[in-house]
Amino acid sequence: MTELIQNVIDGLGRGSIYSLLALGIAVIFGVMHLLNFAHGELITVSGYAAYWAFSSGWSWYLVAPMVVVVSVLTSLLIERIAFSRVRGASDFTLVLTSFGIHFFVSAVFVMYVGARVKTFSEPGWVFDTISIGSINVEIFDLVVIGVTAIALLATVAILQKTMFGLALRASAADFDAARLMGINSDRVIRGAFALSGALAGIAAIFWLMRAGSTAPSSGIDPMLKGVLAALIGGLGSMRGAVIGGLSLGLAEVLLRSQLPGTAAALTDGVVFGLIALLFIFRPQGLVSVAHAERV
Amino acid sequence: MFPNHRRDIVFPIAGSVLLFGILVGAGLIYTAVQSGGAADKLITAMLIDAIMVVGLQIYIGNTGVFSFGHVGFGAIAGYTFALFAIDPVDKLTRIPNAPFGLVDVSVGAFMATVIAVLVTVAFAVVIGVGLARSGARSGAVAATVITLALLFVTHEVARGWVDVTGGDRAGLTFGIGETLPSRMPVYLVLLAAIVIARLFAQSRSGRLAKASRDDDLAARAMGVNPTVQQLAALLISVAVVAAAASLRVYEVGSILPGLFFFDYTLLTLVMLVVGGRNSVTGAMLGVGVITAGRELSRRLGSEGFEAFGIGLDEVPLDWIFREGLPRVFLGLAMIGFMIWRSDGLIADWELDNWLFRRFRSKESTPDVVALMDLDDDAAAELRAADVTVDFGGFRALNGASITASSHEIVGLIGPNGAGKTTLVNVITGMVEPTSGEVTMTGTDLTAAPSHTIARAGLVRTFQNLRLFPSLTVRENVEVPYLVAERSINRSDDKSRPSVDELVAAAGLWEYRDRRASALDYGNSRRLELARAAALQPSFLLLDEPTSGMSDTESLEMIAQVRHMAGIVGAGVLVIDHDLAFITGICDRIYCLDQGAVIAVGTPAEVQADPGVRAAYLGTNAPA
Repeated sequence: MTELIQNVIDGLGRGSIYSLLALGIAVIFGVMHLLNFAHGELITVSGYAAYWAFSSGWSWYLVAPMVVVVSVLTSLLIERIAFSRVRGASDFTLVLTSFGIHFFVSAVFVMYVGARVKTFSEPGWVFDTISIGSINVEIFDLVVIGVTAIALLATVAILQKTMFGLALRASAADFDAARLMGINSDRVIRGAFALSGALAGIAAIFWLMRAGSTAPSSGIDPMLKGVLAALIGGLGSMRGAVIGGLSLGLAEVLLRSQLPGTAAALTDGVVFGLIALLFIFRPQGLVSVAHAERV
Repeated sequence: MFPNHRRDIVFPIAGSVLLFGILVGAGLIYTAVQSGGAADKLITAMLIDAIMVVGLQIYIGNTGVFSFGHVGFGAIAGYTFALFAIDPVDKLTRIPNAPFGLVDVSVGAFMATVIAVLVTVAFAVVIGVGLARSGARSGAVAATVITLALLFVTHEVARGWVDVTGGDRAGLTFGIGETLPSRMPVYLVLLAAIVIARLFAQSRSGRLAKASRDDDLAARAMGVNPTVQQLAALLISVAVVAAAASLRVYEVGSILPGLFFFDYTLLTLVMLVVGGRNSVTGAMLGVGVITAGRELSRRLGSEGFEAFGIGLDEVPLDWIFREGLPRVFLGLAMIGFMIWRSDGLIADWELDNWLFRRFRSKESTPDVVALMDLDDDAAAELRAADVTVDFGGFRALNGASITASSHEIVGLIGPNGAGKTTLVNVITGMVEPTSGEVTMTGTDLTAAPSHTIARAGLVRTFQNLRLFPSLTVRENVEVPYLVAERSINRSDDKSRPSVDELVAAAGLWEYRDRRASALDYGNSRRLELARAAALQPSFLLLDEPTSGMSDTESLEMIAQVRHMAGIVGAGVLVIDHDLAFITGICDRIYCLDQGAVIAVGTPAEVQADPGVRAAYLGTNAPA
């Protein structure tokens, strides 16, 4: 029982990061039907920015907000340079564009910083644990869960209470109709990328704290987890993205603790297999987004 | 299987040989100029990549379903090949604990390739059934996810199942000197792959797959069951990919998990889309262009202009000529082509199609086809009884009943929102009724899949035109014709008109090789009618065939509809707002209002009906 609770907290901590990533992907999918394989590059860029900052002697308290700013700016830049030119193109074009960006960004880092892994030190408390009764919990997990909860509440507030949030939700429901109602699509899309970048920036802080390093290919893992979590939840559904992220985190941790010795190394493989099965039997994901086509 | 012997077999094979010759010739010229082992290896790798890309093209090009998974299938094939082909002595050092006696197995490279292909195709059957289950169609996200998951599962298994795969560090390696001895197997497989890809694209299966790639809903309405064609495309493409992967492992001499992962996915996808993913010629062009560009950027990256003996040392280009340039090149090529030319350099232009059009003998306009004689016994009867449809709280249809015989032209009128289109959607299986039933000559068709209904002899057109835009006029008509040929057994099909006769009857003969997307509106409407007629239906269901037409055009449409229905012997059920058209064409008219039939009779009777007038003009209008 104790172990189960520890695993659940660990899984929720992991899942929180995935939720932040997935939510960013879902927001963009909502406004431009783009499955963004370049989302992980925000983590790569943030990682190099953090590395540069640590080399210049910054502390984590300064690096953390800087990472969020860098992530937002990178997100906006990618939108400006590439995605704004393929708006309204076929799904095929959109996916491949983001796939190309994913490779381009990592290749640029190989070219100018080098393929080697750059390390920096995690903050001291990352691996500390506290005991509540007989349960040992990593402080890190609690911080992640807490900050994620705040970030999600802030996102909900933005979506529900602001004009921009209304425009964004309207655009996600029916982009063309929203435009006809006078919503400035440029601004909504840029706003979506900024929001997505901010969420990825927060995720990046925790991701980097855990990893303590960055490399040109660092973006693959977070991109995958984020994309999969968004898909599990049902693309385009923001609630679904959060549920998907948490489910993915829990599934990973619980499987790893339950699978016998050698098979534990295959946890990721098993998780991917389960996801494939989910999509075979429920192609719309856990939370389905209604959409109809007039004939 | 192949509609036209010369166009679909002779020319594609000849064109494939030519295409093969051009690619191999270019490679041989390069190796002759740049003698040396590196150039040889580059060209061998290019030809193997070409096989892989042809494999991808067969699936992605024909179905429009975007797959990340083919490189995952490559990984399965690659490891299977390595396990069966590597000498036991070499395996013993890497994977001494392999189960199932795999260490002692050694069957030679050829047999190992055959086994790899069979094993991989078996996996593809499972994945293919899953894809079908998820409703794979062009642009479907679920399909992309399933294939992506496949790529990652294979990658994780390759890394984690160390006893069999050697894991991340050791991998599986051939003994020294035991790798691909000559390029001959590559040539043979490449030639076979190109021929297979072209023949599949021209075959019945390929044509139906392309129709549903262009418009899934319209293809189903023409009796196409896309899952069958997609599965065929998947299995063939995976077989080709598996052969390519085996050759790649044999050529490289070893396999690690990274050999078939993201990098190779990017490389092969770039090659596929740069030339044009919908064409085999385009795929080969992409292979050539990307191989050349990558090699150029590699050499510029490592040596700068000195690679070509040009001394431009004073020009400061260090910032761009660096290690890693080839990857930047691939990424940029992908982004650039997606932004500026997402269909690729030559889109769906195909060498052998072009040759066929140039060298075919002159075609003469087909003769006018006689109308079909129908005896009364052969008449089909369409009956929709007591159909009710609720959309949430809104009742779109409220116990509507209609009948029609294949000898007559029946109209369906009613004010906006009366439920006309909903009724047609129920009859054609696109909307499931809350209650009520649809039968044709006694057969229950209620809520049957669209393609089953179409094959049963009920075919529809769409209010908002749904042609297969990238297919030519003739190919559009060919799709339902091919379906009818196999699936529909009507007793009176002795004299069924050919594709060319239907195209001519629609007045589209001079546009026969033009893409449907290039037709003007009136001709598109005529094509949709001819396409529907090509399925040899008992009934044509026309949903607003004259919408957007001028008065003269819609009067011409009366003759068109009569003629088309006449030459295939079909009854007509037509919805329209245009009263002149409806009263001019119909034998009988049903008038719907608020989801129920309020009047039925000859055009004159319905026009005189006070209830109909009230529905159209408001309840207080004088009768």
